[in-house]
Amino acid sequence: MLDLVFLAFIFYVLLLGLQRQFLWVLLYVYIDILAPQRIGYSLISTMPVSLIAFAAAFGGWLVLDRKEGARFTARQGLMLALLAYCWWTTGNADFPAEAATKWDWVWKALLFAIFLPFTLTTRARIEALGLMLVLAIATIVIGTGMKTVLGGGGYQNLKFFVNDNSGVYESSTLATVAIGLIPLIWWFTRHGTVFRPHWLVTAFAVALTFACLMVPIGTEARTGLLCIAALGVLLLRYTNKRLMFITAAGALGLVALPFLPQSYYDRMATLAAPGGDESASTRVAVWEWTLDYVAEKPFGGGFDAYRSNRFAYVMPVKQVNGNTTTVEYREVVDEGRAFHSSIFELLGEQGWPGLMIWLALHGLGLWQMERISRRWKNAAAEEEAWIAPFAAALQMSALVYLVGALFQGIGYQPVMLMLVGLQIGLASYCARIDSARVGHERSVKRRDAIDSKLGGAVAA
Amino acid sequence: MIDYFALALGHGLMAIALLRLVLRDDLDGDPLLTRLKADTAAYRMASSAAGRNAARRARDKDAVMTAPEDDGEPGQ
Repeated sequence: MLDLVFLAFIFYVLLLGLQRQFLWVLLYVYIDILAPQRIGYSLISTMPVSLIAFAAAFGGWLVLDRKEGARFTARQGLMLALLAYCWWTTGNADFPAEAATKWDWVWKALLFAIFLPFTLTTRARIEALGLMLVLAIATIVIGTGMKTVLGGGGYQNLKFFVNDNSGVYESSTLATVAIGLIPLIWWFTRHGTVFRPHWLVTAFAVALTFACLMVPIGTEARTGLLCIAALGVLLLRYTNKRLMFITAAGALGLVALPFLPQSYYDRMATLAAPGGDESASTRVAVWEWTLDYVAEKPFGGGFDAYRSNRFAYVMPVKQVNGNTTTVEYREVVDEGRAFHSSIFELLGEQGWPGLMIWLALHGLGLWQMERISRRWKNAAAEEEAWIAPFAAALQMSALVYLVGALFQGIGYQPVMLMLVGLQIGLASYCARIDSARVGHERSVKRRDAIDSKLGGAVAA
Repeated sequence: MIDYFALALGHGLMAIALLRLVLRDDLDGDPLLTRLKADTAAYRMASSAAGRNAARRARDKDAVMTAPEDDGEPGQ
């Protein structure tokens, strides 16, 4: 039954896309994020829906789209360079079979992010992509938030639609993406044109923000807590009444504390004292190992290069026996520990060149959004007033993602790459307005000059 | 049950959003950019026509001022 509903929805979008082909791009975004083929379990799981959507999106754009103003930008060039470099390292990987498995989804995510800005040629399309990202993530987050509130949370305990830790269905990744999208959710309450500003939209935004904040609580993802803190600090920049904001945030946190389960406190305590937690304490060891590894292999070891790591360290192991708890320091041997950081993931897998490209890609994005935000800050006309807040929201999303990425291997996360595509699309759109306006002003000046010449000639 | 609710709400909102998008002309052609380009083209056309007129008048004026008084038809 569920399969039929998903298939009906996909068919509905394919049908609508016959009128406006851009909808097929949105269909691919929906399928890539929500993965209905993995939620369903019979008919849909056997169909290559993702491939069909990509073929429709790319084919529709290539054959039927106007392609007006589509341009290839420096950041798309960076992603293309990263894609080519990843292809090269995959061919020379330490673990060819595992590397090929990861390459299989990374190239698709990068290629789609390179393609996406070509399609984002109008304001409505930029907004539509933002809306699709928010609604697709909202579909996952609403369920997660409700389960948390109704008492079904817990680390590796909360069930998503898909429970294989893949894509956005990994608890820390979902927490990062959900928190990162909060600024974008609120942009829609003021500047949305698909769903115009209305109390219902605001009410939905409040509920969705609450659900997003519940994700790190429900999944007990430590990184999510850091992302919330990062978002709080970032929001201070755009808040006029800062003291009130800090007080309200503190009060809200205090009110929430009694409702949190003990397991949450236990897990968050490892943030301050990582020695007692294997996942947290091995991170530092893996990062040190990665630095040694790239000292030998500066061009990286290909995807999943971490599999060759092995290290021994001493950590406290708690044993509870009746009323007594004994802490014993034992030597633990660990091998094949994941990077637990996108910086080290890129460094270990793609070496220094790959890391430089990745940092340049995101660094340029932050700078570009800052520039756009300042450039359009004072735009008052309705058709331009949305630009600066949108750029600010995308910048905050990127910063929250980068904070989360410091502690998770999400360097090639498809949703974040789509946000990169959205940033590029916005920057290209703004550049086109500027360019059109320069042309317009030039033609006005020329006309005025001719008018004055004409006036002079007539007067003479 | 919660999963079904979340899926229904998310898909319902997406379906409405996509239907609204398909009915919008500005999805494929941006109104602001189209207007700016149309204005620029109109100004250019006007200025080039005005430019042509101005140049012709200036030429006519120069011709009147520099022409000899007995400049008549050859053979007159």
